[in-house]
Amino acid sequence: MFFHIVLERNMQLHPRFFGRNLRENLVSKLMKDVEGTCSGRHGFVVAITGIESVGKGLIRDGTGFVTFPVKYQCVVFRPFKGEILEAVVTLVNKMGFFAEAGPVQIFVSKHLIPDDMEFQAGDMPHYTTSDGSVKIQKECEVRLKIIGTRVDATEIFCVGTIKDDFLGVINDPASTA
Amino acid sequence: MEISVPVQKTVVLEPFIKLVKLVARVFYDNYTTVSDNQQKSARSDSRGTAVVVLDALTRRQWVREEDLAKDLRSNAKQLRKILRYFEEQKLVMRVHRKETAKRAKMYSAAVAATTDGRAEDKVNFHTHSYCCLDYQQIYDMVRCKLDRIKKKLKDELEDKNTVQEYGCPNCQRKYNALDALRLISMEDDSFHCENCNGELVVECNKLTSEEVVDGGDNAKRRQREKLKVLLQNVEDRLGPLMDQINRVKDLPFPGVESLHAWEARAAMAARANGDLNPNDPSRTQGGYGSTPMPFLGETKVEVNLGEGKEDVKSEGGDSSQKILPPWMIKEGMKLTEEQRGEMRQEAKVDGVSGGASKLSDDKKSAMGNGDDKDLKDEYLKAYYAALLKQQEVAEKPTQQESAGVSTSDSLLATTSSDRQVGMKSKREEEDEEDVEWEEEAPVAANGDYKVDLNVEANEEEEEEDDVEWEEG
Ligand SMILES: [Zn+2]
Repeated sequence: MFFHIVLERNMQLHPRFFGRNLRENLVSKLMKDVEGTCSGRHGFVVAITGIESVGKGLIRDGTGFVTFPVKYQCVVFRPFKGEILEAVVTLVNKMGFFAEAGPVQIFVSKHLIPDDMEFQAGDMPHYTTSDGSVKIQKECEVRLKIIGTRVDATEIFCVGTIKDDFLGVINDPASTA
Repeated sequence: MEISVPVQKTVVLEPFIKLVKLVARVFYDNYTTVSDNQQKSARSDSRGTAVVVLDALTRRQWVREEDLAKDLRSNAKQLRKILRYFEEQKLVMRVHRKETAKRAKMYSAAVAATTDGRAEDKVNFHTHSYCCLDYQQIYDMVRCKLDRIKKKLKDELEDKNTVQEYGCPNCQRKYNALDALRLISMEDDSFHCENCNGELVVECNKLTSEEVVDGGDNAKRRQREKLKVLLQNVEDRLGPLMDQINRVKDLPFPGVESLHAWEARAAMAARANGDLNPNDPSRTQGGYGSTPMPFLGETKVEVNLGEGKEDVKSEGGDSSQKILPPWMIKEGMKLTEEQRGEMRQEAKVDGVSGGASKLSDDKKSAMGNGDDKDLKDEYLKAYYAALLKQQEVAEKPTQQESAGVSTSDSLLATTSSDRQVGMKSKREEEDEEDVEWEEEAPVAANGDYKVDLNVEANEEEEEEDDVEWEEG
């Protein structure tokens, strides 16, 4: 799920960035620092959408670095148990398959793939139904449901299922191409 | 537990009352107005109240909530909380209205007329709340609940929402699917132990399966036991409820009556009866010395949707290919005739055919009231244009079947061919008496060939779609 939230961060800025463009420098450094990162608490920071406030800088003794408390608005993405996501398959093996929904990696184990789908090894390993009408392989898009998340300080990993109504392959580039 | 309900004026309510009672005991037995983190003193413990309230409601129809509280000797505030909860749960309907002397009088009259009970006469003229059980919704709600319970159990049994576990046969280390990222190896397909690089095996942890991998696993056994208890519970407690649901299924539902309608009807009945004897011995008393169930269920609207559909099926026929619904047909799609629907042939027969019905359907659902009129005007215009054209062609001998000659082929297809509706439209043939259809009918696509007046219609259609999406 996406959220638009306000976060705060203390930015340390080297003295060479001081001057007219201090604010811009601060913001661009902030973007570089936080966009694409993941915190267990808030999820993945997708994009910074605005700066709420930049507090007074504090000069650190000895170094000349200045610490600014910056409040910024950003869009974060955090997967939840029970959430339905659309993801792109990245890896298929006999244990199941891996998929990505933006920055989130999801693993769907074999027992959460419908029973009528069998694993087929080869240079393009895939799961397929006996009549071959549905095929899960690398690059194809699936709709899945998150059934478990592991949230570390810097990482979120999910386990999903496609063994339910309306889940499964939604677009297979190989078949339409 | 049986409480006799006077049959005098009621329409087979008993099964529904029984249903409500079962529902109360199965789902709301433990309901308490005190949230878990609050200290529970004996006094504030309201468990069981929900059941009492529901039972009391089965013996009344519309009731002023304060009166109910008085009857039940319960705290009005607490009762309101419970009723609000029931409203959220779709068990009861509630009405809030500002009391006037006249209204209060009407209400007491209605209560007196339909029940043995007596409404409080001296009420202050604030806003008062009334509530009443909604049997139809209760039925739907219970079915929904049961379905979800079943689904959940089924998922549990089929192990649908469990995270797969893996074990290392060498060092007995356990992993689960959430570790998957760390376990994949570059060399082969399987997962490998971080510790000894042994190949991991899938642990069968189906809660129901008999072959548990290692026998000494207490957690699993406990889980299975829990599941057994759960299943037992489901059978014991939901069994009667399911039976009751099945029994009620085909019965006519007590109609839903608004408070106002109920009062009006009660007043009429009282007048018709002439005698207003609250001590009538034929009226038995329920618990709480309270009011027997008044009559419910007279206003009824029966809508038979089924038959039309059957017709459609039999006609819609035998093309092996599926007919795409018109909203799925987009410009530039390559479609066979069948996929476009057999409208082509049918259009001839129809006379009044095709897209009209679909369009108007869409129109109704998708458009605000204002646009409605504009569109109608459009249709009317198109209709007259078509009529004119038809008169011109009228001299020509037609080869069509007599039924359809009237309007069909000569009409301009102001709707796009996309709009051809294979199935739904046919229903409309049967009831042409509907004025609205007739108005709009000529806009129908006549399917023999594409006439390119589609553009305009297309635009309209897209606008409609837009609206629909915005709403969604
Ligand atoms: Zn190992």
